[in-house]
Amino acid sequence: MNARRILAVAHKEWRGILRDRLFFALAFIVPPALMLIFGYGLSLDVEHIPFVIVDQDRSALSRDYSYGFIGSRYFDFKGYAANERDLEPLLKDSKIRVALIIPPGFQRNLHAGRAAHVQTIIDGTIPARAQTTKGYVAAINSYFSMGLLAEHVSRLRGLPLREARQRVQPVDLEVRYLYNQSAKSIWSLAPKLIMLIMIFMPPLMTSVGIVREKETGSIYNIYSSTVSRGEFLIGKLAPYVAISSANIVVLWLLAVQYYGAPFKGNPFVFVVASVLFAICTTGIGLLLSVLLRTQLAAIVVTTVTTMIPALDYSGFLMPIEALDRGGGVVARLLPAMYYTNIVVGTFLKGGGWDALMGDVLILAGYAIALFIAGYVLFNKRPRA
Amino acid sequence: MMTRLSILPGRVWWRRLGVMTAKEIRQLLRDPILLSFVVFIFTANIVIQGSSVSMQLNLAPLVVLDADHSAASRELIYRFRPPYFRLDGELDSPSKVTSALDRGQAMVALDIPPGFQEALLKGEPAAVQLQVDASHPVPGFLASSYGARIVGQFSLDTALAREGLSIKRPDDLPVVIDDQRILFNPNQKDTWFMPISELLEGITLFAILLPAAAMVREKERGTVEQLLVSPLTPFQIVFPKVIAMTSVILIGTTMSLLTVLGPIFHVPLEGSLPLFYFITTLYIFANAGLGLLIATIARNLAQVGLLSLLIMGPILLLSGLWSPSEAMPVWMQWATMASPMRHYIEVSFGIFLKGAGIDLLWDSVLAIGFLGVAIFLLGIRRFRGQFA
Repeated sequence: MNARRILAVAHKEWRGILRDRLFFALAFIVPPALMLIFGYGLSLDVEHIPFVIVDQDRSALSRDYSYGFIGSRYFDFKGYAANERDLEPLLKDSKIRVALIIPPGFQRNLHAGRAAHVQTIIDGTIPARAQTTKGYVAAINSYFSMGLLAEHVSRLRGLPLREARQRVQPVDLEVRYLYNQSAKSIWSLAPKLIMLIMIFMPPLMTSVGIVREKETGSIYNIYSSTVSRGEFLIGKLAPYVAISSANIVVLWLLAVQYYGAPFKGNPFVFVVASVLFAICTTGIGLLLSVLLRTQLAAIVVTTVTTMIPALDYSGFLMPIEALDRGGGVVARLLPAMYYTNIVVGTFLKGGGWDALMGDVLILAGYAIALFIAGYVLFNKRPRA
Repeated sequence: MMTRLSILPGRVWWRRLGVMTAKEIRQLLRDPILLSFVVFIFTANIVIQGSSVSMQLNLAPLVVLDADHSAASRELIYRFRPPYFRLDGELDSPSKVTSALDRGQAMVALDIPPGFQEALLKGEPAAVQLQVDASHPVPGFLASSYGARIVGQFSLDTALAREGLSIKRPDDLPVVIDDQRILFNPNQKDTWFMPISELLEGITLFAILLPAAAMVREKERGTVEQLLVSPLTPFQIVFPKVIAMTSVILIGTTMSLLTVLGPIFHVPLEGSLPLFYFITTLYIFANAGLGLLIATIARNLAQVGLLSLLIMGPILLLSGLWSPSEAMPVWMQWATMASPMRHYIEVSFGIFLKGAGIDLLWDSVLAIGFLGVAIFLLGIRRFRGQFA
C-alpha cells in the first residue's frame, strides 16, 4: 500500500466527478430532494379514507351515528348513496374504500333497548390499510355504543348520566406511544429516510463509476500501471464514501432542523455508524461492479437490487419482526436493518454505545467483508 | 389521392423499424447477466418478497407488569392472545419493562396497577396503561387499536356483570353491532397484495430504466451520430428501443403470471387478462417515454442512474402502494396524478382482485394513455432538438 498512489487514484476520480457537472450536482441534489419529497408525501397515517353512507333509517339517531364518521378526520365523507347496489361500482373503481349501511329500524331498535345492526363494507385490497380502517370503525362504534348504554343504565337505575357512563366503562385505558409521543409519522420517518436514501445512492455511483472504466477500456491503464488492486479500490471508492458521508450530514440536518425530529442519542455513535454504512453501501456497489460488464446492466441491476429490498427488508415500513422466518434471515443478511436500528436508536430512543454497540460492530464487519470480497473478486488480469 | 397515401408509412418505413428493432433485441441478448437479472426479478424475487413480507400486526411481543396479581388482572392478560399478540412473559419492575421496549424485545407493554380488582369490585374507576412502541407508526397504531378493543370488551363485560345486566342474547342491549364485510380479499392475505405489488414495481422500474439506458448508451458511445446520418427519423431511432424493451418486460410479466402469481400464490384474476395486457403495454410505453425524457437530459449513464433515482424514487414510494394517497397534502395528490403508476395500480388491482372492467376503469386507462402520449411527444421533441 502506497499512500501516494492511493491519493493519486482518488484525485483522478475526484477530478472526473467534478468535470461531469450534472453528475456532481445530482450527487448532492438527489438526496435532499428525495428527503423533501418523501417527507411531505410519504405519510403513513391512514387518514381521509373516502367513504359513503347508505342511510335507510333516516332518523335523528342514525344521523347522529353517521356524524361520528363524517366528523372524523380519519374518514372523508363522499356523500349518501341511495342503495346498496350503487356501492359495488364505487368500491371496484377505488372511488371509495369504505361504505356504511344503516338499515331501517336502527333508531326503533335502540330506543327499545335492543341492539341495532349496521354493516360496514371495507375494501380489502391492501390488507394493512383495511386492518387500520377496521380499527377506526370499531373505535367510533364502541364510543357511540357506550353513550347509548350509559343512557340506558341511567334510565334503568335513575342515575345521573355521568355516573352511568363511568359504570358501564369501569376500566380506563391509557395508551402511551413511546419513541414517537405524538405518533407523528414524520418523526419516525425522517431518520429512516436517511437510511433509505443512503442505500440507493452510493452503490449506484460506485458501480457505474467502476463499470464505466471497464466498458470504455480505461481500466487497462490501471491494469498495466504499478497501482495495486488494493490501492486502486481504496482510491477509487474514497471520493464516493466522502460524498455519501457529506450527504448523510445534510440529511441529518434536514431531519433535525427542518422536520424537527428529536435527536436524543449519542451523536458520536451516529457518525461512526454512518461512515461505516457509507462504506458498506459503496462496497455493495463495488461487489456488483465486479460482476457486471456493461454500464447499462450496472444501472439496472444496482437500482433494482438496492431499491426493492430497501423497502421491505430494512425495517423502513414494517418492523423486521413482522417478516416471516425466511424474510427475517434475508433482512439479517443485509446491512440496512442494522443501520435502521442505529438511526432509530440514536434519534428516537436515545441510544448510546451500550445499546447499539452490536449493530455498529456488525456494520463494521460488513464493511470489511464487502471490501475483502471485492478485493478478491476484482482481478487485474481478467480472463476474458 | 397520391399525396394522402404518401403520408402513411410505406414499406421501407416499416422495414427500417423492423431492422432497428432486431438490432436492439440482438444487443439485449448479448447481455446475459442483465437478462437473467430481469428473469430473477420477475420470478424468484416475487416469490421471496411475496411470501415473507407482511404488513399486518402479527404476534406482537407483549410484556406484562402485573402489580395486582388478581383474578381480574389475569383475566385481562389472558385476553391478549394470538394472532395479534404474543405474551412474552411477566416482568417485575418498570425499569425492566422500559429496557425490554428499548431493546425492541417487546413491542407492547401492559401495566396493571395494584388494587385493580378491588377498584372494579367497589365500582370505582380502574386504570390500566398500554405502552406501545410507535417507532413504526402502522403496527404501533394497530397494536393500540387491538389493545383498546380488548380492554374495552373486558371493561364492558365487567360492567354488565356488575350491573346485573347479564345478557342472554347480545341483541338485548342497546348497542350498535357492526356486521363487517371485507371485499376483494376476504381473508386479508398479504400473499395477494405483495406479489401483485412486486410485479407492478418490477414492470415500472424496467420500463423506465431499460429504454433510458439504451438511449444514453448510444449517446455516450457516439453511435447515435451514425444513426442520425442514416435516413432514419428520430422516431425510427427511438421507437425500436421501446418496442424491444416492451417485449422483454411483457415476456417477464407473462413468466411471472404463469410461474409465480398463479401456481404459487393463487392470486385470483377476477377481470380480463387481455385487458390487463393491453393496459400494461400502454403503461410500459408511457414509462418508456419517461425514460426517453431522462435520456435527453443525461449525457452519460452515470447521470441516467442518478436522474432515474430522482424520478423513480417518488414514483414508487408515492404511488399509493406503501402509503395511502389520501393522506398526502392535496397539492401532492394532484402531482401524483401525473405519474402513470398511480393510475396503473388502480387498474391492476381492479382487474386482479376486484374484477373491474373497462366500463369502470376507462378514466384511469385514458389517463395512462394521455400521459404516455404527452410524455412521449415531449421526449421525441427534445431528442430532435438536441440532434437534428
